[in-house]
Amino acid sequence: MGTVLQFVVLGLGLGAVYIGLGSGLLLVHRATGMINFAQGAIATWGAYVFAELRNTGTLVFPIGSVDLGEPPSTATSLVIALATAIALGFAVHYLAFRPVRQNSVLAQVVVSVALLITIQALVVLRFGPNKVDVESFVPGGTVTVLGASIPTRELLIALVVVVLAALVWCYLRFTRIGIATRAASENERAAVLMGFSPSWLAAIAQAGAAFVGTVAVILASSLTGLNADYFGLLVIPALAVLLVARLESIPILVVAAIGLGSFQSLIGLLVTQPWWPVWAQSGLDQVIPFAVVMVILFVTGNRLPTRGSTQQIRLPDVPIPRMRPVVAIGLLVAAGVALALTEGTIRFGLTTSLILSLLALSYVVLTGYLGQISLAQSAFAGAAGFVLSKASVDWGVPFPVSMILCALLATALGMLVALPAFRIRGAQLAIVTLAAGLGIERFIFNNYSLSPPEGNPIADASLFGLDLAVREGRDLSRLSFSLMVLVIVAIVVWIFVRVASGDMGRAFLAVRANERAAESSGINVRRTKVIGFALSAFIAGIAGCLIGFSRGQLSAESFTVMAGLQLLAVAYLGGITTIGGSLVAGLIGPLGISYVLMRGFLDLGEYYELVLGLALILTAILNPVGIAGATHHQIEFIRRKLARRRADAAPPVDVALREEPTRV
Amino acid sequence: MSDTHGLYARELTVRYGGLVANSAVSITVRPGEIVGLIGPNGAGKTTFVDALTGFTPMTGEITLDGRAIDALPPHERRAAGLSRTWQSGELFGNLSTTENLLVATRRAGWTALARDVFGRHRRTGREVVDAALEMVGLVDVADTLARDLSLGQQKLVGVARAAAGGCTVLLLDEPAAGLDSMESRALALRLRSIADAGPGILLIDHDMSLVLNVCDRVTVLEFGKQIFTGDPGAARSDPRVVAAYLGTPTEVGHV
Repeated sequence: MGTVLQFVVLGLGLGAVYIGLGSGLLLVHRATGMINFAQGAIATWGAYVFAELRNTGTLVFPIGSVDLGEPPSTATSLVIALATAIALGFAVHYLAFRPVRQNSVLAQVVVSVALLITIQALVVLRFGPNKVDVESFVPGGTVTVLGASIPTRELLIALVVVVLAALVWCYLRFTRIGIATRAASENERAAVLMGFSPSWLAAIAQAGAAFVGTVAVILASSLTGLNADYFGLLVIPALAVLLVARLESIPILVVAAIGLGSFQSLIGLLVTQPWWPVWAQSGLDQVIPFAVVMVILFVTGNRLPTRGSTQQIRLPDVPIPRMRPVVAIGLLVAAGVALALTEGTIRFGLTTSLILSLLALSYVVLTGYLGQISLAQSAFAGAAGFVLSKASVDWGVPFPVSMILCALLATALGMLVALPAFRIRGAQLAIVTLAAGLGIERFIFNNYSLSPPEGNPIADASLFGLDLAVREGRDLSRLSFSLMVLVIVAIVVWIFVRVASGDMGRAFLAVRANERAAESSGINVRRTKVIGFALSAFIAGIAGCLIGFSRGQLSAESFTVMAGLQLLAVAYLGGITTIGGSLVAGLIGPLGISYVLMRGFLDLGEYYELVLGLALILTAILNPVGIAGATHHQIEFIRRKLARRRADAAPPVDVALREEPTRV
Repeated sequence: MSDTHGLYARELTVRYGGLVANSAVSITVRPGEIVGLIGPNGAGKTTFVDALTGFTPMTGEITLDGRAIDALPPHERRAAGLSRTWQSGELFGNLSTTENLLVATRRAGWTALARDVFGRHRRTGREVVDAALEMVGLVDVADTLARDLSLGQQKLVGVARAAAGGCTVLLLDEPAAGLDSMESRALALRLRSIADAGPGILLIDHDMSLVLNVCDRVTVLEFGKQIFTGDPGAARSDPRVVAAYLGTPTEVGHV
């Protein structure tokens, strides 16, 4: 009993972070209706500033730094770090959130995901990738309860954060400006009528959220050390807690956060028991947030509150693709020639780009066509690659069969993740799929009993005696492998075009446009969503297998949650509604040809993620149709200008034609 | 009653928390007839259509051609032959007129997926769509995006989408709202020709002259209660109906 209590208290450190991030998320959602996926990254930046001040006496900015000589006192450092956090909160509001407040939910999710990528990249660039010690200024000690020594530091930290959460609660509940914030979340005009600018209220909320989150991360990281990846992604369980609190109740949020933190800590105790199965020893604590949210969603049965569900959600237009044999053959030949003329890392980069464009295509199906936001795509890909290793090495399944079987397994996983989409949509679906992706990553890919640390070798493919291995001797990128990838990508794209231009594609678009109307037109919306998730996961699964073949083994790093978020980023950047967009996404994707060139010729590889994040923020704000979409628009624009010029030159009979409504 | 063709709704009740939005409303729509459903704002007309089509929880019995459909989800009620339009249009704005109608005439599912990939893309069904467009006179805008259509055209596309591919009963929620009197009169003619071709129509509208002129029977709702059912002529002189409409001065002009 005493040990149990000890572990429960040890979990308070984690619980404190969830409270700090969660109450900030709630505050921001209250003020803007948006979910800030970068909440953890923002808080991590502030905590790094504090740690760096105390450890080296350097005040680090995103660009440049000031050496203060002697490290300033704890109090001074805290004040400076928290001031930085508040400034960052304001910057986030004015530079990223405010510009997209009228855009689609997708653009809003993408902006905050882009912020997450950007800030995480900045933290690694400015503070280094290693764990940093953080000074523990909260007095430590132990008290003995039930025969177990209970650390008081965790208790004090939790107390501080709970007090901050209580202040947030009071702000929203009792202050005039807080009430206006709540009113603004329902209806911006209400806040205007109370004499407040909704933008100013949102800016204050962002600053407050950054403040509370940073305090929590500084305190909690003093227990464990500070690590950008770890703390930045603690936003995922915090988001799960936020959903449990139905995005509105601070008291429930605090209880759920402490419960989750303690439960995760208790699991750490549980898995050391002799009767606990070895395969379930690691990663289980990360499956819990997903499981909790799923249970809540299905037990309560009600839809979670969505803000502005009546407002029309504008998504980029989707042109229905047509089979264009000439264009297709031209592209195939061009790609084949490019692969044949290059070699080594360049050819490998091109091949990777081809594979990445498949992953982007899986987003086109799900997000572009069906309008569902999933952040679990890389987990689908990873799961397929993971099983491919078993199938190709342990079970000896021959090549094309093994790949298709593994993609079908990813399909099944995708259909499972489709279930929450029955009840929720938009940013909330993004949260749940993100939690699912993290669960899959930690429970399967990082689980040593399922996925040995020495890696999961994948047997080279061969077909009818043709060797399709990626490497042979000193040749690191064989042409036959690249051509195989090209053929598979072409087949999958062909399948996509068939579906997108057929009955199912139309049903996807109908569901995206209007679920009620689709239902009343006889479309089974749930089944359509399941099919969309299935198709998307199948494509992701094929891509995962190809990544596996190209590496010769499956490494968990290829399929982390962050890799998945980067993929959403490039898919959106390329254009999330078209095949052209996914091809562009492949070219600019992580480890693709642009990355190879950036690293090889400009020596800028380490800035890749930062550039990606910033480019994405700009795209989401300025150009929701992506690069391919913008190019398409320009082509249309030029074509219409030319048509107009021709019409002007023609006899006036043509005038009637010009007056027809133009389609953009 | 041996004849069970058409829509029979018995004692439909809808509660939103403590509010009773529909209280034991019963209605019958037989094939080929047009039944009007009128009432002042907030009388529960749209709620009634939502209940019939499965978009809001309710108690009561609904049968369509003798088959109980009250436990089916909305898309299966549509497949069973109960079709509706929406007050706000609710078209698929990013699809063309033709595609809007095709959505309603093709079943989406695993077989459709397999057919899309491996089979030939069907051209059949286009005739059904063309016929429906012909019926509402929208052949000219077949390839225009739905959101680029005028309001009147959008309403008609909604009607055509609901009727396309056949249905037993058509529920029209304010198809004439926002139309001018010319368009409204043209709509009445089209509704009559649709009904003559087979399906029964339940017509909800504020335009009293449209409802009273085109309908075979009329049901009047007030505060969720059914206060009148019968001949349109009798509705004009029924004191409760007159009182209900005099209670809302904005409606007087229409009577």
